[in-house]
Amino acid sequence: MGAQAFFLAVFGLAAIGFGVAVFRTSSMVRSALALLFSQTAVGCMFLVMQTEFLGVLQIMMMATEMSIMAIFMVMFMMDPGGLGGMDMTHQKRFSIGAGVVAAGAAIAVALLADWGPVTVQAPAAAMQTRELGHELLGRSMLIFETAGVTILTAMIAATAVAIPVQRLADNGDKEVSE
Amino acid sequence: MTVAIVLLTLFGSAWLLAVIEGWTVTGRLQPAAPLLSGLAHLGRESIVPRSPDRVFFEAAPVLLLVVAVLGAAVLPLAPDLVIADLGTGALFINAALAYVLVALIMAGWGPNGAYAMIGGWRFLGQLIAYSMLIVMPITAVAMRAESLVNTAIVGSQADLWNIVYQPLGFVLFYIAAMALAFRSPFDLPTAEGELAGGVDAEYTGVRLAVLRLARLTLVVTLAAATTVFYLGGWHGPLLPPWAWSLIKTLAVAVSMLLAGGYLPRIREADLMRWCWTLGIPLALLNIVIVGLLILVVP
Repeated sequence: MGAQAFFLAVFGLAAIGFGVAVFRTSSMVRSALALLFSQTAVGCMFLVMQTEFLGVLQIMMMATEMSIMAIFMVMFMMDPGGLGGMDMTHQKRFSIGAGVVAAGAAIAVALLADWGPVTVQAPAAAMQTRELGHELLGRSMLIFETAGVTILTAMIAATAVAIPVQRLADNGDKEVSE
Repeated sequence: MTVAIVLLTLFGSAWLLAVIEGWTVTGRLQPAAPLLSGLAHLGRESIVPRSPDRVFFEAAPVLLLVVAVLGAAVLPLAPDLVIADLGTGALFINAALAYVLVALIMAGWGPNGAYAMIGGWRFLGQLIAYSMLIVMPITAVAMRAESLVNTAIVGSQADLWNIVYQPLGFVLFYIAAMALAFRSPFDLPTAEGELAGGVDAEYTGVRLAVLRLARLTLVVTLAAATTVFYLGGWHGPLLPPWAWSLIKTLAVAVSMLLAGGYLPRIREADLMRWCWTLGIPLALLNIVIVGLLILVVP
């Protein structure tokens, strides 16, 4: 229990530290990868709390997602490397206020909520995976399928909006030679 | 003890691969060459490019090596010879190897060089192409074993190896694994001829030595994964279990090395098109076929 609490604290602090690093750098790639490692630390917290499947899934998904986010940030920001000395912060007072309020609310929820009895012995990892599978394909199937299809629709719509309108003469299938 | 044995096997295999690679290139069998070359790298100046992203530049080769070793940590050499027999082992390999992408993006962005950066981002496109062909065949493998535990997956192949049970999945996984290891013909991030080494280009000295070791280790890890998922792992007659795992892993690794030598480098757009228009439908078909086999054949 002591070791568990220690590592939970270590990964928790790492998550916060990388989270702070996201906003302390002007390099878009650094910022994106700091967010990635913050999320990886959260995945490690899941592992420490013996929820193996969720932890491994979190660690896996974030690697690709944040890397893709990094290239989009490089594409769209004016100073992606942060070497131009451009200040990309704005609305500082409002941000600080919003941050303090949000942090206070999160801490209040953590301290005041009734979290129920603590499970003494977590089920084995394979059993957790099995129960998660039954949950996903049983009671919660409709919710997850709806969410999944909605996200897919949004992705297709966003891609469709991003593609420039092509003239009829263009052959969309033929690749333009590089 | 298990950790020491697995690490020794991993790096020993990587050394053997380097020897064989040198043999195919120079035509001479020089067992000491990789070690001498590594020592020479240690002695050379390790140049840091102008205004680099120092954290990324330093961390990338080490991260690549760490993820290759982490991936191997959940792969069993024998029933009791595995560092961590996780309940989600088959998923964990994906999680570890997803960070190959992160390492290459860091290696590409870090040195502040055009060729390296193009190489790094190219691998992101490559991942979009190959990643589904890693995950979907593993899904079919886990379906047959009814488990994500790697020892259980090997156990499910006691009577019939998965390469016979689901050959389509094997072919897709093998190709995708080569793309993940960025070996020829999928060496787009390094691309000697057009990118002058790409992500490798700015690395010299000890950092380059770590990068090369990491790349070879990655090939061995992926070959070991192919062995566990498709070639029956430690199963085989006469020899002890660990010997079969080692023989199969080395055979797969060498086949990956040699197959690439006879193929021209694929274009990024072609790789993407073939993976998405041909590979993913075939991977889905593989899942359907395996599902039917599981339901119909007792």
